[in-house]
Amino acid sequence: MITASGITKTYKQRGNLLGARAVPALRGVDFAIERGGAVTFIGESGCGKTTLGRIVAGLETYDGGDIVIDGTPMSSLKPRHREPFFRRIQLIHQDPYSALNPTRTIHQTLAAPLALRAKQTGRDKAWMEERARELLALVGIDPGYVLPRYPHQLSGGMRQRVVIARALTVDPEVLVADESVSMIDVSLRLGVLALLKDLRERLNVSVLFITHDIATARYIGGDGELYVIYRGQVVESGPTESVISGPIHPYTQSLLSAIPVLHGVERPGPERVVPTEALNEAHPDTGCLFARRCPFRTDRCEAAAPALVSDGDQRHACYHPQRRDVIPVEAVA
Amino acid sequence: MTVTSPVAPAPISLRRNFWRGVGRVLRRKPSRMVGVAIVVLFVFMGVFGPLLYPNPLPRDDNALYASPSWAHPFGTDFEGTDVLALVVTGTRYVLLAGLATAVITVALGTLIGLLAGFHRGRWDTVLMRLTDLQLTIPGLPLLLVLSTVWKFTSPIEMGVVLGLLGWGGIARAVRSQSLSLRERGFIEAAKGLGLPTRHIVVRELLPSMAPYIAMNMLIAVTGAIYAQVGLFFLGVLPFDANNWGVMLNLSVFGGGALSSTAALPYLLAPLLAILLLTLGIVLVVDAMDEIFNPRLREE
Amino acid sequence: MTRTSAPGVRVKDLTVVYKTPAGELPALGGVSLSLAPGTITGIVGESGSGKSTLALSLLNAVQPPGRIKEGVVEIDGLGDVVKLTGEELRRARGRQVGYVFQAAQNSLNPLKTVGKQLLDLGRSHDFDDLPALLKDARALLGRMGLDGGRVLDSYQHELSGGMRQRVGIMFALVLNAHLVVLDEPTTALDMITQAAILKIVRDVHHERGLTTLIITHDMGVAAEVTDSLAVMYGGRVVEHGPTTEVLGSPRHPYTKGLIRAIPRLSGDIDEARALPGRPPTLGTIPKQGCVFRERCPLRIAVCDTVDPEPITRDARTVACHAVGRLATPVVPKEYV
Repeated sequence: MITASGITKTYKQRGNLLGARAVPALRGVDFAIERGGAVTFIGESGCGKTTLGRIVAGLETYDGGDIVIDGTPMSSLKPRHREPFFRRIQLIHQDPYSALNPTRTIHQTLAAPLALRAKQTGRDKAWMEERARELLALVGIDPGYVLPRYPHQLSGGMRQRVVIARALTVDPEVLVADESVSMIDVSLRLGVLALLKDLRERLNVSVLFITHDIATARYIGGDGELYVIYRGQVVESGPTESVISGPIHPYTQSLLSAIPVLHGVERPGPERVVPTEALNEAHPDTGCLFARRCPFRTDRCEAAAPALVSDGDQRHACYHPQRRDVIPVEAVA
Repeated sequence: MTVTSPVAPAPISLRRNFWRGVGRVLRRKPSRMVGVAIVVLFVFMGVFGPLLYPNPLPRDDNALYASPSWAHPFGTDFEGTDVLALVVTGTRYVLLAGLATAVITVALGTLIGLLAGFHRGRWDTVLMRLTDLQLTIPGLPLLLVLSTVWKFTSPIEMGVVLGLLGWGGIARAVRSQSLSLRERGFIEAAKGLGLPTRHIVVRELLPSMAPYIAMNMLIAVTGAIYAQVGLFFLGVLPFDANNWGVMLNLSVFGGGALSSTAALPYLLAPLLAILLLTLGIVLVVDAMDEIFNPRLREE
Repeated sequence: MTRTSAPGVRVKDLTVVYKTPAGELPALGGVSLSLAPGTITGIVGESGSGKSTLALSLLNAVQPPGRIKEGVVEIDGLGDVVKLTGEELRRARGRQVGYVFQAAQNSLNPLKTVGKQLLDLGRSHDFDDLPALLKDARALLGRMGLDGGRVLDSYQHELSGGMRQRVGIMFALVLNAHLVVLDEPTTALDMITQAAILKIVRDVHHERGLTTLIITHDMGVAAEVTDSLAVMYGGRVVEHGPTTEVLGSPRHPYTKGLIRAIPRLSGDIDEARALPGRPPTLGTIPKQGCVFRERCPLRIAVCDTVDPEPITRDARTVACHAVGRLATPVVPKEYV
């Protein structure tokens, strides 16, 4: 069980002589991942979802708030004592091409973390070989084919499976999948998604899924929680299916309205929300962050920021909450 | 899915594959084979050259500055010694000094560059200032001064001094390479898996930089050859060492090779040797990228 | 001479080969495809399907080691593009065929303002009336929701990804080309920006009376804007027809599999199924027989030996032995 509360992160952009400009990437984000559960972050690029994933995987530090892993607050530990905790959370990179060392065979790639594991648990070399094969079989690839090969000899889908197998060498509790299929061929994507879904069930691993593609979130974590992040802040959250079928925040509605309709298979939803302006980081930080782009804004929105409040099983940060039916409807043949 | 395939790939077969790949890469272009042949020839001369001739080399007082002939393909020098024999026996010093230089520049440069690039922060600042310092040392004047007190009779000494004066460039290049590589997914993944820093640097970072380092090393060898031959040519070092630079010096200042034809072969032979060795190295450098990149190696 | 109406495009038996150490390998194996004047056609395919090669062929711009081995690319008002060379070809690009390159966000010169690059473009195409060109560009940018004057004075780094994409589209249209090719116009863009760009593409297409070709790997993008849809696999067009029909009742097993492999927001998510196997690369495209047979659920004996001809029935073209052999009489011609 991992809980994050009030995570903030500010990047310093190199400024002029007068000092650096502070760019807030995360403005106080709370969430929790249960064992075997699924949590999805969606949002536009630059909204902070990738930073959040990297923070959870221990690859980046945070400025405020705290992450509690299995009851231990990370702020209570020295950085080097945090490492074993963060090792239970493994990041699956977006790019399976740079995630594997091109100069090392898959066998070498898997052997290194397995050797570490064998040393910790007092097991021998035979166990390592056995385990490497077991893990590759688990992610659905033929160990005999893959082990002696270099990454460039494998397809994108296979590489991403190897990356997942490598993450599994340390028996993680959470896999953080950051846009993990966006660089894989369309016909192979669902296979990798199905694998992640399968791992949740078979190994009881939780998946933290970071994406801009809400439909894939529905596939992997339909039973989990969805967090919609906008400019470093959660603007809406709730059970994935509820948020998708009844989005409350206008930003969530804009995201869902923007999803292409597969004409012929689907027809457009009855309502559609289009932002009045493009995303602009220079928009004021006071009031609701989405106000300038929101078609439903009032003076109140620009005056003070709305807080995240509960509404049924969903939470939203909006002064004018209203469920709208924006997603495409299945066409009846 | 059931596991059916029988044998795990042993590291030995991997190594054999590597050398087979190297062979394939070299055979891909005839120029590379020529380069390898030239380098092998010089290495052979360096190792066995001095054994092929009596020591000291015989003189023939009747054939001073003799013209090229079957007995003396490049003629003879001012005391009637065969020029070819001089070139061949001189190879060892040149190569040893070059090799020592290369080892020092590459070892120091890579170590400092890696430390600075991988750890960043304070390490980076200190090491890079040190590198800047090294790069601002004027090499030639320093060598000229040094040579007044130090005779460089051993090629290793020569190589060490040249190496200490030349690692800065590699350090900078390696640093920038590791800065960009450390952001790569596989380095991050290795950190996330808790692999020790030593493993990350030696097993993950270094192999990716190998072509780069190898190329720099070969280029350092040619640089070192020019530098030492130059020093001997200028005559700032004692003549007791048998060196191509000494030959150049004697042919120009002693034999008047620039104004008369008699000593011309004496001048041309070492020049040709330097040219050929450089050519060989340049032709081999061309293959480095493909040798260390498994994708280019195998396709 | 510049056409003022939408041209039709006919590609016939186009074969493009790439020279590799293993010999010349076909990236396109005898592709035939027609773009009806005034329509938006989408080409959907995975990496290695040959979709970008096909797009480049429309400009006769296949780069070595690739070359057009045989075939005809006929564009109304231009003739056979394959036969054009040198100066003629250069003029055709931009004037008659506008091209928005893949990753157009990165194809601007970082050292020059957009306006300066526009003037360079105008000069290289011998435009006399450069102020009019700037005016057109400003109008086009304004049309796409940008402040034209400001954008023309900007450098690449001052524009966001979505803005650069729109600048790319402006460059393709500003010389008044009536055939526009967009290669992956929305990759690397966010959903909301993507929706905005697709709307612009559609609106501008109708306003200017264009023939538009969109190359994409994303079925959703194609579905959203196109009138007709061609699906490519292994250097072949395996299916081509009206978009809603191809998506609603796909005939080729690859199209079927691809559509089923897309997670959707509507319907039962658990019905999504992965396609087995993986797409071929240049080196692994089968030399004979159907290119899709390794992954095909309908594979029959003939698939191993004979490459299926595209066959048109009810205004839809499909290249498949298993579905082409149905009772209705067949016309060996493709859908237009």
